[in-house]
Amino acid sequence: MKAIPRPQRWDNPFDPDMTEADVDRILSMSPFREMNLDDFPASTPLGGILRNDTRIRRYQNGDIIVREGDYGNSAFFIMSGSVRVVLDGLPTSMLGRLEPKRKGFFRAFAQLWRNHKEPEVRDTTRYVAHSGVRARDDEGRDDRIFLQDVPGVLDAHNTARMEAGAFFGEIAALGRVERTATVFAEGEAELLEIRWQGLRGIRRRDRKLKEHIDALYRKNALITHLRETPMFRHLSEEELTEVANQTVFETYGDFDWYTSYKTMAEESAANRLAKEPIIAEEGHYPNGVILIRSGFARLSQRFGHGHRTISYLGKGQYYGFDEIIHNWRQRSEGETLPVWNERGNQPVPLQYTLRAVGYANVLIVPTPIIEKFVLDPDRENPRIPLALLPPPIVVAESAEEDVQQELTRLEINEDMLELLVENRFINGTATMMINLDRCTRCDDCVRACAVAHDGNSRFIRHGPKVGNYMVANACMHCADPVCMIGCPTGAIHREVHGQVVINDATCIGCSTCANSCPYHNIHMVEIRGKDGNFILDQNTNAPIMKATKCDLCIDQLGGPACQRACPHDALRRVDMQDGLKSLADWINR
Amino acid sequence: MITLASRCRRNIAIIVLAAILGGLVYTIYSLSLRHTSFISGWTLFLIMLALALYNARKKLPFMPWANSSTWLQFHIYAGFFTFVLFLFHVKFRVPNGTLEATLAFLYLGVFGSGIVGLLISRSIPRRLTTRGEEIIFERIPVFQRRLREALEQLVSRALKETRSLPIAELYAKRLLPFFAGPRHFWWHLVQSNRPRYALLNELEAFNRYMTPEEQEIAAQIAALITTKDDLDYHYVHQAVLKYWLFIHIPLTYSLLLFSLLHGVMVYAFIGRI
Repeated sequence: MKAIPRPQRWDNPFDPDMTEADVDRILSMSPFREMNLDDFPASTPLGGILRNDTRIRRYQNGDIIVREGDYGNSAFFIMSGSVRVVLDGLPTSMLGRLEPKRKGFFRAFAQLWRNHKEPEVRDTTRYVAHSGVRARDDEGRDDRIFLQDVPGVLDAHNTARMEAGAFFGEIAALGRVERTATVFAEGEAELLEIRWQGLRGIRRRDRKLKEHIDALYRKNALITHLRETPMFRHLSEEELTEVANQTVFETYGDFDWYTSYKTMAEESAANRLAKEPIIAEEGHYPNGVILIRSGFARLSQRFGHGHRTISYLGKGQYYGFDEIIHNWRQRSEGETLPVWNERGNQPVPLQYTLRAVGYANVLIVPTPIIEKFVLDPDRENPRIPLALLPPPIVVAESAEEDVQQELTRLEINEDMLELLVENRFINGTATMMINLDRCTRCDDCVRACAVAHDGNSRFIRHGPKVGNYMVANACMHCADPVCMIGCPTGAIHREVHGQVVINDATCIGCSTCANSCPYHNIHMVEIRGKDGNFILDQNTNAPIMKATKCDLCIDQLGGPACQRACPHDALRRVDMQDGLKSLADWINR
Repeated sequence: MITLASRCRRNIAIIVLAAILGGLVYTIYSLSLRHTSFISGWTLFLIMLALALYNARKKLPFMPWANSSTWLQFHIYAGFFTFVLFLFHVKFRVPNGTLEATLAFLYLGVFGSGIVGLLISRSIPRRLTTRGEEIIFERIPVFQRRLREALEQLVSRALKETRSLPIAELYAKRLLPFFAGPRHFWWHLVQSNRPRYALLNELEAFNRYMTPEEQEIAAQIAALITTKDDLDYHYVHQAVLKYWLFIHIPLTYSLLLFSLLHGVMVYAFIGRI
């Protein structure tokens, strides 16, 4: 038996070279200077957070600090110098993106005989060599991407300057969303990088920082989000600002939805639905367009004594626009009230009920604002491109007919949709679906997974079924990866292409991610040394645990081995974020 | 995404085209008075070798050498193509030499088992989907044991609480063997529920000798019988899906070895023909 010290929080500080002098220096700067140290608990003092969850980084002119599209796990505070935010996006070639490291041909082939016979074998020397691993990120030794022609970029792109004392990247870090813009250093700049666990800790304790971040959100992220929405793309900056000023942002549901999800799963469908907060209700006047900023929302329609799910909305999708357009079209010139005509040409209320599934951050753009900036003044020639105008709503004879229309559009059956929404599988970007009518239960997928992971399968070919389809117990690499919340070391993180992976070297086996995962797709395992014996905590003799899950074979040459190993095309990793198009294509192939 | 029907049509078209081209080459060889057996033999052997490589490919799922499904499609259609080649190679006659007859027998065994494999891999999954719970093959014995234990508890309860002779008799004569392991292999394979209904009818027939308390236990036993029968159904079908390869693969390796021997013999004696 081999014993090692039990891993602890802050065993692996963000930067081991951070000194007390650095912390004192940061504490002398605003807004840290104004923070009340007594607001922080003894277990996580502000100084401790700054010491362990931050690092000071120095950038040269043109160095890219964050890239649009990357997943951010940290925010930045400008200590000195300035940075530029590219508002209209840089070409991918200029971003210097690199593919994640994959095994070479021979290393991949060698898995055939190099895989261990015992399960969950680890090389423990990696656990005590963190400084070596982090050293690659140390100043002057990492592969930093920089813009060669900064003046050219400034000329060709719409950029904004941020000066010392400003924060950026906090929305991406806290919202677990992609970076919305590329930021690069303008001249020499010194930045404090705060990993999201630290930022969360500070925001929770300091009211001013919270207000500051919220205000920044309204100023930065809101405008960006509106700009990304097709219906607002034609607006000028001034108009967009006016729309932003009138936009209401609200959160429905609970950010910690995953904690109650497991108990809710045992309740009846009607009870579960009743607990989903209503964002907009069927039959009500459309007060505005509701844009989903993050999270998910269910669209349902009354049926019998319950509600029938007809679709769901995810990030970037919106609701209420069709009804507003329809009513605007029906309104006679010069009149302010809708005129009721024959069936199909009547002004309509909201056709469906919109509910937060778990939680949903929404933006509500009021109807008058839509009419002013998107539609008016010329009814024949609205400001929005005609291609974006939805067709008039045809009021169905019955709810049944309406639901069938929607399901036909989705090309998916009702039971499947209910299963996906009820169980929140819509959260997945790589949900493992198995067509049981084609699956011969040969377990080639399981074996392939095991071979690609040192003999350990990272999923179970079992899970909820609907019809002839199964959603297997495999990490779905969620759009809202709740497993990442609460990881004390940041071991679980997003990779460049969105895969949620666990860094085994920094995982302390606390089980937070495994307990958070509502889908039971993260498993805690007892690890072994190369000699096959369990590795024990040297103080308690308890086994050392590590979290494990599917990593979509991120280091393998061919991508997910499970999907590639299926001889009968029965298994597919499906992205649920495209409105079920991928799923429908696969099902109806 | 290409539909399964389109893929099927495309592959059939490719195989027909390949057969036509092969026929042309074969005819040209015949007209030039060359030994057509060499070209058909070598082509057949190389394709069979490529087909056998699929098993090796399965052992290397992490290598970027096309998806397993692509390999299987090649395996199926090239397999059909080999049959045409085989017929041309044996010149549509029944081989009469010992080695040739053995080879032909092995080839037909591999081809036939392949066809059977294709048919069962397309039909059995649908059967499994429509009956019983989805269950992993290796876990079936565990569930069987649990069902057996549940039955024993029920029977013990019946004996303790009601001194039920009918249940005891049925347990000893019919239920114990039924719950001892997988049963009614062939009945399940031909999709017959006769043994299940026979057992349930027998249990029901005993109802007339039972008190209401015993009948309640008998109803629970009936539910266990249904569950066990579904479990057997899964066991039988999954076993067939797994074990047919134990015929196909050994025959394949034997065929390749005999083909090699056949080639050696041909080249050894070619000069004397």
